[in-house]
Amino acid sequence: MPLVVGKSKIMLSNYIKIAWKVLLRNPFYTFISLFGISFTLLILLVLSAFLDHLFGSHYPELQRHRTLYVTTGTMRDSARTFSTKGPLSYKFLKKNLSSLTTAEDYGISSVFSSVNTYVGNKRIKMMVKYADPGFWRVTDFKLLEGKIFTQAEIDQGAQVAVITQKIRDEYFGIQESVIGKPISFNGSTYRIIGMVKGSPITHPYTYADVILPYNCPKSEYDAESINGSYTGIIRAKKAGDFPAIQKEFDQLTQRRSFPFDEDGMKVSYLEAKAWPFLTGFVYELFSSDRNEIFFSIVMLFMLLFMALPAINLINLNVSRILERASEISIRKAFGAPSKTILWQLLVEHLFVTLIGAFIALVLAQIVLGIFNQSGLIPHSDLSVNYKVFGIALLLTLVFGVMSGLIPAWRMSKLKPAEALKGA
Amino acid sequence: MVQHFFKLIWNKKRSNALLIIEVMVAFLILFGVMSLLTYHYQNNARPLGFEYEQVWALNINSQQDTSKVGEKLKSIYQRIRSYPEVEMASRTNGNTPFANNHSNRNVKYKNVNIQGDIYSTDEHYAKALGIEIAEGRWYTRADKGAKHTPAVINQIAKEKMFGKDNPLGKIIQLEGDERWKIVGIVENFKQRGDYQANTPVFFNLSDWDMSSVLVKVKPGVDANFEAKLMLEIGNMQPDWVFELSYLKTLRKTMNQQTSIPSLIFSIVCGFFLLNVALGLFGVLTLNIAKRRSEIGLRRALGAPAPAITVHFVGEMLVIATLGVLIGLILAVQFPLLNVFDLEASVYVIGMLLATLTIYLLVTLCALYPSIQAARIQPATALHEE
Repeated sequence: MPLVVGKSKIMLSNYIKIAWKVLLRNPFYTFISLFGISFTLLILLVLSAFLDHLFGSHYPELQRHRTLYVTTGTMRDSARTFSTKGPLSYKFLKKNLSSLTTAEDYGISSVFSSVNTYVGNKRIKMMVKYADPGFWRVTDFKLLEGKIFTQAEIDQGAQVAVITQKIRDEYFGIQESVIGKPISFNGSTYRIIGMVKGSPITHPYTYADVILPYNCPKSEYDAESINGSYTGIIRAKKAGDFPAIQKEFDQLTQRRSFPFDEDGMKVSYLEAKAWPFLTGFVYELFSSDRNEIFFSIVMLFMLLFMALPAINLINLNVSRILERASEISIRKAFGAPSKTILWQLLVEHLFVTLIGAFIALVLAQIVLGIFNQSGLIPHSDLSVNYKVFGIALLLTLVFGVMSGLIPAWRMSKLKPAEALKGA
Repeated sequence: MVQHFFKLIWNKKRSNALLIIEVMVAFLILFGVMSLLTYHYQNNARPLGFEYEQVWALNINSQQDTSKVGEKLKSIYQRIRSYPEVEMASRTNGNTPFANNHSNRNVKYKNVNIQGDIYSTDEHYAKALGIEIAEGRWYTRADKGAKHTPAVINQIAKEKMFGKDNPLGKIIQLEGDERWKIVGIVENFKQRGDYQANTPVFFNLSDWDMSSVLVKVKPGVDANFEAKLMLEIGNMQPDWVFELSYLKTLRKTMNQQTSIPSLIFSIVCGFFLLNVALGLFGVLTLNIAKRRSEIGLRRALGAPAPAITVHFVGEMLVIATLGVLIGLILAVQFPLLNVFDLEASVYVIGMLLATLTIYLLVTLCALYPSIQAARIQPATALHEE
């Protein structure tokens, strides 16, 4: 046995040497192949990094895999002709979320709204969010300085604020401490008690520059209606608890007498759902006015997009293998079995693909690094998703090997005499 | 000769099929991108229809306050107008220019029923935004209390509802049995930014409590005045929320929502095409290398060098034509089935541009290897044989 292992090791290094020589023999084709492979992988990596950034668990929602979001409520009349839809009120969320027995914890916060504040003749635009203490427990904000507000501040009715580093830099300038300093907007003054690392705008349920206790002025927390300006976040013990929580939440929201009056409308149906982030997003997307044809066409285009580099790779490989026809036939004539020839070509393909993948990985890191630095999405932290990288690499290999090996296999089946004649 | 090319390609249909598919897929992608860019270009080419440089949008939210909101809003508006720094101010509903806030209604005239954007404003709106009236006039204070609410429409609304007729003085009917009388026509009004499609717009004089104010300030007015204004009107209603934004900034953000995705899409597409071009180039070079003996023979029989070049470029163009034709059959379904609500001209220009680009790309890729082929010396090529 050890002898066989030793032999195959030598063969492998020989194949790699040959592959390297083949690559160097025609730098132009090498460049085309590598460009195709690495560029396609690069696009896939960057795209998946964006999707992962939007839907995956990232700062400050590190536990998204066990988090549910209650974002909108829809109310319809008995004939379902009129409907209103929007975020919910604090009281509605508080009543239903606090009765949940299946969840671990919950938090309520308002949809961010913009306010302006003025320093000298400069104006600073800030996004403000009102939140309850639970909001801090179901998110994973990193506290850079001071503390966050708790039930104690709510009970005192303290006008305190937690700000992000970005607002400190803009409002106060980069200095040592902002704790205890006042910040004024909307006709009120708040005392800063903490500073956190900000959330990117792509995370709408946690994005804000200034976070205030929900019972501060102008938060509309005491509105009695169902629609309002708040959203809820539910943290489950584990993702497996989702069905139980969703079922319980549905039952809780339906526990009222229908129809009831809301803003002049007789409401017979009320729908407020707790969704995992991605499901909620997809649900919103499909309930919007864009139709299915639109999405099928977008999907078709994406498929075409991905098919193009694959066809290109196949085309090139099919042509290139013919170039090797004489080499293969000579090896056959000297008695090499088909299997050996196929192995050699397989190793060659693996070798080229891996080099391409490595280049793609390096380029993706650079592109994402530049994007994170560019500030197009402040606080963004895009990174390469290695699971996607693995799948993409596998697909590239499948296409490469199929397109390279099938013609090669056909050729290796030829009788050496015929093959030599053809060459 | 073209017939001959087709015959040659048909003889090697297996190896050419992949190339044809590649050209077809590239064509379809190009068609998509070119149609998108044409659409944006056409929309961007129409003027915005108003001025935004010196205008601020103030949104007022009365929160849970419900007592005498109308009077309070009115006194805030009058306070704003009283500042010497303010050139003009106009009250409007929340769908101010470049705001993510829209109001749609069905509008009917005789048996034409269309959906349009509705802008409920006061009589100063046109002046505050510098809207130019193409025909008729903007509504004035004197129109208040008239039997029918006065309305101004845009050019496309006129075309869709009245065709060639003069709409001035005509009565249109709205959902909920309201009736408006048309008093004027404007060319364009692109509230959703420079890339907005040409859609019907209806302005009307409103008596309701409009909660937004467009403030046109005099040149040179800065954030100092803004801070003073916000403080003073904030003190008038301490429980209300006031949100002020510059139309200039909003426009930039609005336009970026269209331009940045399009730009990224185009760049990615450009790289894919480069990929395809390099691939075609490589395949062609290999194919020609395989046909050295054929070239040598033709040259030996007296074919001039340009004829060889023309031959290979011609073959490639026939392949491209086949790919483009299949692609066109698919692309033509878009205007036929009216998949997106776009004018046919967008698709036609998209197809033309895509076809041109494909031919250009294929010719460029074929030219160099073909010229190389023409340089083959008959003696060497035949000697190898």
